[in-house]
Amino acid sequence: MKKVKAVIFDEYIDDVIRELHETGLVEIYDLSERLEDYEWNSILEPSSSAPYIRDVTGLLIKVSKILDLFESVNPKSSSISDFLNPKPIEKKRVPNSHNDVMNYVKNIVSQVDKDVETLAEKLNTLESEKSKISQTIEQLKYIYNLDIDLKYVGDGKFVSVYVGLIPEEKINKLKNELENETNGYSDVLIGQKNDVNDDKVPSVVIILNEYLEKALSILRKNDFEKLNVGDIEGLPKEAIQKLESKLKEIEKEIESIKEKLKTLAEKWYNELLVIYELLNIEKERAEVYTKFGKTERTYYIELWTPKFNVDKVKKIIEEKSNGYCEIEVSEPDEPEEKIPVLLNNPKPVKPFEMLTEMYALPKYNEIDPTILIVPGFLLFYGIMLTDAVYGLALTLAGLWMWKKIGQVSEGAKKLGYILTLAGISTVVMGIITGGYLGDFLKQFLGIDIYKMGLALVNPLGESLFIKNGPIAILGFAIAVGLIHLLVGLVVGFCENIKRGLVEDAIINQGIWIFVILAVILLVLIKVLAPGSLMIGLGILLISIAVAILASMYKGYKENGIMGALLGGLDITGFLGNVLSYARLLALCLATGGLAMAVNIMAKLVNESVPVVGIILAIVILIGGHIFNFVMNGLGAFIHSLRLHYVEFFSQFYEGGGKKFIPFKSNREYTTTN
Amino acid sequence: MDPILIGAIGAGLAVGIAGLGSGIGAGITGASGAGVVAEDPNKFGTAIVFQALPQTQGLYGFLVAILILFVFKTAPAWAMFAAGLATGLAGLSAIGQGIASSAGLGAVAENSEMFGKAMVFSVLPETQAIYGLLIAILLLVGVFSGAGATSIAALGAGFAVGFAGLSGIGQGITAAGAIGATARDPDAMGKGLVLAVMPETFAIFGLLIAILIMIIL
Repeated sequence: MKKVKAVIFDEYIDDVIRELHETGLVEIYDLSERLEDYEWNSILEPSSSAPYIRDVTGLLIKVSKILDLFESVNPKSSSISDFLNPKPIEKKRVPNSHNDVMNYVKNIVSQVDKDVETLAEKLNTLESEKSKISQTIEQLKYIYNLDIDLKYVGDGKFVSVYVGLIPEEKINKLKNELENETNGYSDVLIGQKNDVNDDKVPSVVIILNEYLEKALSILRKNDFEKLNVGDIEGLPKEAIQKLESKLKEIEKEIESIKEKLKTLAEKWYNELLVIYELLNIEKERAEVYTKFGKTERTYYIELWTPKFNVDKVKKIIEEKSNGYCEIEVSEPDEPEEKIPVLLNNPKPVKPFEMLTEMYALPKYNEIDPTILIVPGFLLFYGIMLTDAVYGLALTLAGLWMWKKIGQVSEGAKKLGYILTLAGISTVVMGIITGGYLGDFLKQFLGIDIYKMGLALVNPLGESLFIKNGPIAILGFAIAVGLIHLLVGLVVGFCENIKRGLVEDAIINQGIWIFVILAVILLVLIKVLAPGSLMIGLGILLISIAVAILASMYKGYKENGIMGALLGGLDITGFLGNVLSYARLLALCLATGGLAMAVNIMAKLVNESVPVVGIILAIVILIGGHIFNFVMNGLGAFIHSLRLHYVEFFSQFYEGGGKKFIPFKSNREYTTTN
Repeated sequence: MDPILIGAIGAGLAVGIAGLGSGIGAGITGASGAGVVAEDPNKFGTAIVFQALPQTQGLYGFLVAILILFVFKTAPAWAMFAAGLATGLAGLSAIGQGIASSAGLGAVAENSEMFGKAMVFSVLPETQAIYGLLIAILLLVGVFSGAGATSIAALGAGFAVGFAGLSGIGQGITAAGAIGATARDPDAMGKGLVLAVMPETFAIFGLLIAILIMIIL
């Protein structure tokens, strides 16, 4: 990483920002915190967003409103074929200078607005009218069997007429009280109970205005529920009919407007997505100004950029500012944990960076473990899934993900690539261990590949070449584990030496390297010169004793006597790391064994159930093998990761770096080229 | 007596105890899955994936039962019994895995980028079950021919790796905590893994003693 510091004349700052945003070569350092410092504050003041931000956010709100409207009338449908074979989005060529972009956007917005605005308004009024009418109908339904012309209802010059509902048991009380309080200048007409409201009866109350106030309080006390019928004429029954036909008309009108909006949506939707993206890019550019420092006529910016991009960045700034700039390139001037980290691996290894990132990015100046993960990960995956047919299925699934879905999703592309390679590794391992849907060939076709010598090793028994399959694989797993740990330890040793921490290198890695080498020596002696086995054994014991003493010393230095005692137990941790690789055997057997269990069940069903047995057997075979494939495919992936994260990384890798996040325009629908 | 008669007990123990563990574990994850799906129905698939994790122990138990009953039926009687015992007891680690998966699911429901990390943590307590399976297979295929692998002493190996496998419950609890820590601070991943792997030490002790019983006796 390098830091590029530049002072740029304000007339050209926007051009520089735009070009940097398009190329995405730099991460912009936020100066705002530093500008609070007094010394800095005296020469630079914090910059606010670019002046065009208000324009842009205003348009952004408008566009997103129209997009919402379009999405509500024309919901996006996604079919299965879209999912299986997604089409990459056609990118639209757009201008790049700010004025051109804004003119382009405004032009489209005004066109769309012209088409949409009146329709949208009309739709709004119709919708509100619709809800109002439905409410009135709802109210009228309570009194549909009341025999009164509704034009009389309301406050008249001398009398007021109300329609409403009253609880059945309070009718008499209400009548009496009204009679008394109004001296008889009122009347209550009770209608017939109907099925819309169970315990309340529709009624009409007529009151002389002189007694209105008193009467109203009596009505309230007796739970009279006044209905608002507005200015409607005719009997409730007729009114309901009229309103309902009107409602239908409105609904028809709404439909036709929605139809029109739908055609508009089809015409404009993609165009709107384009300008939505453009506006968001403009907004991002405008907002980045808050990270700068400012003088009267210049801007001061600081940028992180990887070493190999420095020249390009310098050229961009110089060209775009017409030379009205001052550039300085310096080594990182921040504490290590604040320097961003960018992984830079060759293309075939690049997708595996996602596995490193999932754990933690390396610290600045720490080794990038990605390339070390690749061989181990693929080998372990293959050993744990070990089935040629499953491997083929995984390869195909991986290829589909990589080539098809990868066109629209960067993550799927990387994962697809990894799965494809893992699938190939699984096919190879499957052929070596003779797994083709478990022992399908033997169970159903009577072909015993192990006796024919077509497979090297039988995980569940003997083959032509190796007598005891499980033990051979266990030995292989432990050997692979030792070598894997050795690689990790050597890398850690070199890293520590490079940093000048010789003692750490010896105590943390050196002693264990010694132990592993002693084990390898012992095995070699056993094979080549069995006579001098005792010498090898002696060396191993010495190495273990040294390792225990050294880790006790390390514990003592850190935590005193207790630390020394605990340090003596480090050897079990090391042993645990080695034994953990035995999971390679266990998971290898689990895949083959479960596949065999599926085959056995299918065979049993086929032989014991008459007629439909064969269909059941096929269902069990297909379902069982898909299940086994998915479960163990997932298991193999995570357990391979675990062996790297827990056993391998603990030898040399810590991680915890800050990710380099480039200032880059996110263009899904547009392109400037 | 026909050895398969005692072997059948082993097969029953393998499916039964491991099934108990998986049932409880999957239940714990399922409960948090139901909560997550109620909030956001789109998370159903994620919930299913996490709930599948503690079910593997039950599958291992099933696998060993099938191996005992159909494939290695001529193995020594006590080896079959011990194999079932080892897989069954070690399968109780599914309870811990259920706890970890339930925390993992919660973290992923909040932030889908946590998926990979939550998966790695949730799969840690499966190691114990794998050790149980490993010992079961070593017993069944007859790698060792001493008394420790063929006589009643084999039960000792089964108990060692089986009960030590219960450390998976503790590991699940630590892993659940570590998932929470990692969700808050992604850099806690490495240290969280170191802490979460600690309870595994005892599973390794169990595994070692089991192997020693088979070799030495």
